[in-house]
Amino acid sequence: MNKAILSVLGHDRPGIVAAVSGILFDQNCNIENVSQTILQTEFSGSFIVAMPQNLSLDDLRERFIENLTPMGLHVHIEPLVKKETALTTRASEPFVITTKGPDRRGLVAGISEVIAGYGVNITNLQAVFKGGDEPGDNIMIYEVDIPIDIDQPALYRDLREKAKSLTLDISIQHRNIFETINRI
Amino acid sequence: MLTDREIISTLEMLENENLDVRTVTLGISLMDCAGFSLGRVRDKIYSKIANLAQNLVPECDRIGQKYGIPVVNKRIAVSPIAVVAAALSSSQQVEIAEALNAVAQEVNVDFIGGFSALVQKGIARGDRALIEAIPHALAATERVCASVNVATTRAGINMDAVLLMGQIIKKAAGLTADKDGIGCAKLCVFANIPQDTPFMAGAYLGIGEADAVINLGVSGPGVVKKAIDRALEAKPDMDLGQISELIKKTAYKVTRVGELIGREVADNLKIPFGVVDLSLAPTPNVGDSVGEIFQSLGLLSIGVPGTTAALALLNDAVKKGGAFASSRVGGLSGAFIPVSEDLNISEAVRKGHISLDKLEAITSVCSVGLDMVAIPGDTSEECISAIIADEMAIGVINNKTTATRLIPVPGKAAGESAFFGGLLGQSTIMPVNNGQGQNRFIRHGGLIPAPIQSLTN
Repeated sequence: MNKAILSVLGHDRPGIVAAVSGILFDQNCNIENVSQTILQTEFSGSFIVAMPQNLSLDDLRERFIENLTPMGLHVHIEPLVKKETALTTRASEPFVITTKGPDRRGLVAGISEVIAGYGVNITNLQAVFKGGDEPGDNIMIYEVDIPIDIDQPALYRDLREKAKSLTLDISIQHRNIFETINRI
Repeated sequence: MLTDREIISTLEMLENENLDVRTVTLGISLMDCAGFSLGRVRDKIYSKIANLAQNLVPECDRIGQKYGIPVVNKRIAVSPIAVVAAALSSSQQVEIAEALNAVAQEVNVDFIGGFSALVQKGIARGDRALIEAIPHALAATERVCASVNVATTRAGINMDAVLLMGQIIKKAAGLTADKDGIGCAKLCVFANIPQDTPFMAGAYLGIGEADAVINLGVSGPGVVKKAIDRALEAKPDMDLGQISELIKKTAYKVTRVGELIGREVADNLKIPFGVVDLSLAPTPNVGDSVGEIFQSLGLLSIGVPGTTAALALLNDAVKKGGAFASSRVGGLSGAFIPVSEDLNISEAVRKGHISLDKLEAITSVCSVGLDMVAIPGDTSEECISAIIADEMAIGVINNKTTATRLIPVPGKAAGESAFFGGLLGQSTIMPVNNGQGQNRFIRHGGLIPAPIQSLTN
């Protein structure tokens, strides 16, 4: 069975998920995974679906464009090719990196560059920049998997130096502490 | 996936509310170090502690960094030296204290507890030698802490020991007169001493414990205060039942932190994990005070009418939240009210809001007793013993731990300031009302019998 990944973007309104899933149902597709979020006023959703043998990717794309364009939504569809990547086999520990500080350009780029340089994978990123100098209004939260075989003190040092140069307060903590405190 | 609220509220507790692990205390049994020869006992004690504790501080620091939560103090608690060194003389036991101090310095822990005797029913030869060694031992060392258990609910109150401790406290103050009697800040007199508390000065490792064990003391008065402040700001008409619920939830969070870190330190050191002591332990810093909680609850200050009820609510809620968070709860577990160590409480003394009498009353509903109380240097031995006896009676009758850490500050009178420094803090000296004259009651000595366990009114 073929699989596809589709992403839907557009101004948020009621009925987007219903429209997307309705088309998939009509085309005999099965939804395996969905993640959707709203950033300010914009809807963004990703769907992984299993397609029947007799349905081509182009046909499915056609259906979406036909039905969703009038709603002001953009759709992108790609075939899903499963790869065994090195990432899934590399032993790592989940950490949370949080920064607070005045808003300016280049904050995400600066921090994520250091993270990427050590082969650390970001598994979830939430960032809110309301602008201004109030540190609590400008927060980045990176959930990352830090491989256990890298030079962790060097990563910590580089992250702290980068944060300092961007006038950010940074904290780097094992994810367990947040689960332990907040969840039963 | 974590929510941003979970992450931000946790960071807030760490950065602005002084959430930390107050102490990781490594308990070490020294029973296999006992002997007749001072040299051999001393060498065995030194090498056993140095060997077991060598990685304690680096491991606590490493795990503290991993979770972003500082382990403020690393300490050691040993078997009661009065038993380990029972065959040694008093002056030889002072040398054991010096060896404990030296090994504490070597492994870089800030205190080592267990220069202790348990004499609730009678004073054995080794116990007397240890008690007599206490003033010199505390004057000659910096990091050694002493405790003497003079009463239990099952044995009663050993009034001979109570009388003796009045003398010992005065002597310990006299030998450290240049530092406002700081020797007494490292000496607790107990009723119902817990054998697993990680907090000083009362920490020691009980006879029924394993060869080595990691016990951990959490803290967090600042976290509780801020939680109350925030909740009352959002909803000013909260009733006390709701506030109790809020404190419970907060204590749960604080305790979970302790349990996580304690277990990981224990696993990495390959030493069994013992207990989490769920205590609200203040430091002399703004925002890390138990006293401030009373003000958040709506009292003018700790010490005014309503204080006992407020402390009862606080203490019970902390225990309930903590007991749900960890199944390994022990030690003192409750709110501490150490006068000089809590900026707000020592301020309440200075302003006259709390007296020694009210302080004694509220110890009936909290976890410790008359803790870090500076009293005039000319308070008599008899009077100190009488204060101890009263405090012990509260513990014995109510089936709970109570203790005294009284400091008769040499050469200073009520109203003057005593300065101990660091975590021990500073305080205005409290007057002892009606403490003059002879006290024939205390001089009778003997044993106040164990209380009846029924007819509980």
